[in-house]
Amino acid sequence: MEQPSSFWLLLAVFAPVLAGLLSMRIRPSLVTPRVLVALVGPVVSFLSVLIHLAGHGVAKTDAATKVITWIPSLNLNVAFLADGLGAFFALLVSGIGILIVLYARPYFGMSKDEQYRFYPTLGFFTTAMMGIVLSDYMLLTLLFWEMTSISSFFLIGWYRYEKESVHKAMQAFFTTGLGGMAMLGGILMFGSSEGIWRWSEVAHWHPHSSGYVIAAFCMMFAGAATKSAQYPWHYWLPGAMVAPTPVSTFLHSATMVKAGVFLVGRMYPAFHELTIWPWLILIPGAITMLFGAVTALNQHDLKRIFAYTTVSQLGLLMCAYGLGGLEFEHGGQHLMAIDWDVTQIANHAFYKAPLFIIAGAIAHVAGTRDLPKLYGFWRVNKPMVIVMLLAGYALAGGPGTISFPAKELFFYAIYHAFEIHWIFQVLAVMAVLTAVCNVAIFVRLFTTLLGLPFGQRDLSFDVAVQGQGHGHGDGHDEHHDVGFWAAMLWVPGAVLVAWQYLGGLLPNLWSWIFRPLEANVNYEGFAERLPFVWEMHWGIPLIMSLCAIGGGLVVGLSPLMRGAVGDVHDRIYPFLYWLCVHGGGRAFRTFQSGHFRWYVVAVVSFLILGFAGSVYFEPAMLDVHTASPLEFWPGLLLGIVICVSALMLPMVEKRVIRVLVLGACGFSVVGMYLIYQAPDLALTQLMFELISVILFVLVLRMLPSPDVKKSPGKVWRIAISAAVGITMGWMTLLAANSGTPPALGPFFEANSYEGTEATGGRGGGGHNIVNVVLVDFRGFDTLGEITVLSIAALGVWALLPGRAVRRLEEKFGSEGGAA
Amino acid sequence: MMVSSIILRTSVRLILPLSLLFACFMSLKGHNEPGGGFIAGLVASIAFCIYRMSFGAEALLRLLPVHPRVLIFTGLGMAAVTSIAPLLFGLPLLTSRVGTIRVPLVSEPFHYASAVVFDTGVLLVVVGVSVGMIMRLSEELE
Repeated sequence: MEQPSSFWLLLAVFAPVLAGLLSMRIRPSLVTPRVLVALVGPVVSFLSVLIHLAGHGVAKTDAATKVITWIPSLNLNVAFLADGLGAFFALLVSGIGILIVLYARPYFGMSKDEQYRFYPTLGFFTTAMMGIVLSDYMLLTLLFWEMTSISSFFLIGWYRYEKESVHKAMQAFFTTGLGGMAMLGGILMFGSSEGIWRWSEVAHWHPHSSGYVIAAFCMMFAGAATKSAQYPWHYWLPGAMVAPTPVSTFLHSATMVKAGVFLVGRMYPAFHELTIWPWLILIPGAITMLFGAVTALNQHDLKRIFAYTTVSQLGLLMCAYGLGGLEFEHGGQHLMAIDWDVTQIANHAFYKAPLFIIAGAIAHVAGTRDLPKLYGFWRVNKPMVIVMLLAGYALAGGPGTISFPAKELFFYAIYHAFEIHWIFQVLAVMAVLTAVCNVAIFVRLFTTLLGLPFGQRDLSFDVAVQGQGHGHGDGHDEHHDVGFWAAMLWVPGAVLVAWQYLGGLLPNLWSWIFRPLEANVNYEGFAERLPFVWEMHWGIPLIMSLCAIGGGLVVGLSPLMRGAVGDVHDRIYPFLYWLCVHGGGRAFRTFQSGHFRWYVVAVVSFLILGFAGSVYFEPAMLDVHTASPLEFWPGLLLGIVICVSALMLPMVEKRVIRVLVLGACGFSVVGMYLIYQAPDLALTQLMFELISVILFVLVLRMLPSPDVKKSPGKVWRIAISAAVGITMGWMTLLAANSGTPPALGPFFEANSYEGTEATGGRGGGGHNIVNVVLVDFRGFDTLGEITVLSIAALGVWALLPGRAVRRLEEKFGSEGGAA
Repeated sequence: MMVSSIILRTSVRLILPLSLLFACFMSLKGHNEPGGGFIAGLVASIAFCIYRMSFGAEALLRLLPVHPRVLIFTGLGMAAVTSIAPLLFGLPLLTSRVGTIRVPLVSEPFHYASAVVFDTGVLLVVVGVSVGMIMRLSEELE
């Protein structure tokens, strides 16, 4: 089969960032043209994906596009995989991207700075997201994955002069970045052990639970779990609500937080056969699901409510994939307990994005996002309340929305898992409780926004009187639009929520659109299309739904759980931060005492301990054969001179004489090199001795008299010195003893002037082997060494301020010098 | 710091040019005999250091045609260019070219290796680093 070209998908990935950059070229005063240019990006993306799909259809999970070679040696090339999951996500990301560009314009008002910064950053993020969902090479996915971390850092820390905002952006970046690191490790381990570097190859992989694969899988899942805000790493998502609402809508409902779910979906086709799959995913997923829902109910801030319901829904999606690792029996067939996963994901995006959009719009109009203060907001702005309640109804999973069958399918999956283990009945209870909370949240929204009894109400605040004209509760510009752009505050939400009802009321149409994208359709009843409301089978799952609705109504109307509680997990990151900064500082102060002799002691003790350790594990190292020292008398003589001068060193009191003795020691070594016929080494050593003597003479006079009190005791010093001497001496002997002499000598001898076959007939053209090795055979090392040397010199220049700088400081004081 | 001794000054005046000449000699013959850019660089640095000790920093700066840090960058640049140049001819990094040319009026053919340029780069870096460091260190001590 011919592979489709990558062109359209490449265009789809890079169009948003290009359009975003292009929008920077437009004069800041022309806001509308800027929006239109930025709009081109996601529109082109959306259309290109559609064109690709029209040309080649939805790909199977193993049919990638043609490879564009990039870095083959790293197994990193460019190829795309537009299978059902990838194509759906690509359309979702670019489609919501279009709406966000439109929504951001009235949200930010006419603020030139924000309009200027927003579209390129958003374009960058959209490109990264498109890259994640379309890439076929795992490492390419990872590359884009990290790009989303970086761009979301900028987007979350949008109000860059506010401490809170920057702090939360760092928190999100830190958390998702750590996950990304784990994912990198996982991909590398999986790739190097299985030889698979592409998602399309994973489909053909035969899973086996070797330790390597399990570790790789766990690490990849850690990446997905941090990105998708799984408990206990969920704290960054509610924290990221400091971002402007267009960002929250895009990142935290539809795209970035779904990247983790997407990754799990990508791994699903093969990895679900691992025995660890359901447990690793279900346990955090289930906790996240219930925890998120309960916490969401206990919030007042609209964005925080929706943030926690997002956390909850992400847990639910993870659970859905986790259940997919379980098999159940149906009519003699073994089926996986997963169904219509793309619909599950779409369902969440189509109600959560409108909820966020309207939350931002309400904050824009009313100046507050506090639910009790919005009591009776219906009288202020009807379209917004209508859209929000429509979306809230879907959040509750009410019949008539696509949410209802989606939740039913999830309940079905749990129900089928009952026969595998009783523990899934606990999961069923957790799922029902989650649904209860969601229904209760809708009931709260309904009663409060419409100003009905049982609603939450802040009596000191009347939104109809105090709310209007204060529109800066969300930190944005005070400008309020009229007409088209004013409508753009809520129309994008309406467009998205319409899909909910399309799916709920016309399941045939929904199934016609989404069935080709679904790779996992198992149950007989729903094989071709989703059911109408009245077609639901009577059974445990439907009873679970009814329980949820009933329970939700009761909880929502009751006075229970109406406070605004904090989340204890918000302290995780500050604690880790504190640990790093303070712990790091303490460790630094411990190791960096600032006394030179302690550094020397540390370095040499490490050397001695390392040597002792290796001798312990390899006793053969003690076994060294030496020739008789009496064999060559000039060497023996010089050796004695070296030893005597070295032993004299500690006995001499005066420093100058010490330097001279040290020199004597060094020059004897030079002599040693000479008699053993190493003239190059001898020369180098000679020069070094000369330079060090000069340097010592320069420096010595300036040193203070030695502080004997602070130095370690004499016995210690002798012991350490003796140990270093023995270690180094032994290591030298070992090096000389290391079996047969390597063939390097003859090789260089043969090749240094004229090459042999080994070097392809190219010699170094020199008779001095040492030098030819330095500049030719090992020239790259030399290049590195002189680079290091230069950097050391730069360091000296930077650390010692020198006369010119000091003169400036004297003249202007140290601050003036720095300025 | 300056060690002002008339004997030292006089001898340094003689030693300096000789050492520099010796350094050049060493670096050129280094490919076939003991020597090479690294050692030659050290020889030259020692000469400069002694000069600095006897005549002072200002005199050394006047003596050097350029600041030591320029020497470092030039040397590093030479080494880098000679390493990369073979890539332009489709050869691996750091391939050196060996050959002989006949210089007019000289009877013996001249044997050369392009690694000499690389070696000269090493020489310049070594001189630049050691002279520069010693200058700054001694300045600090004064």
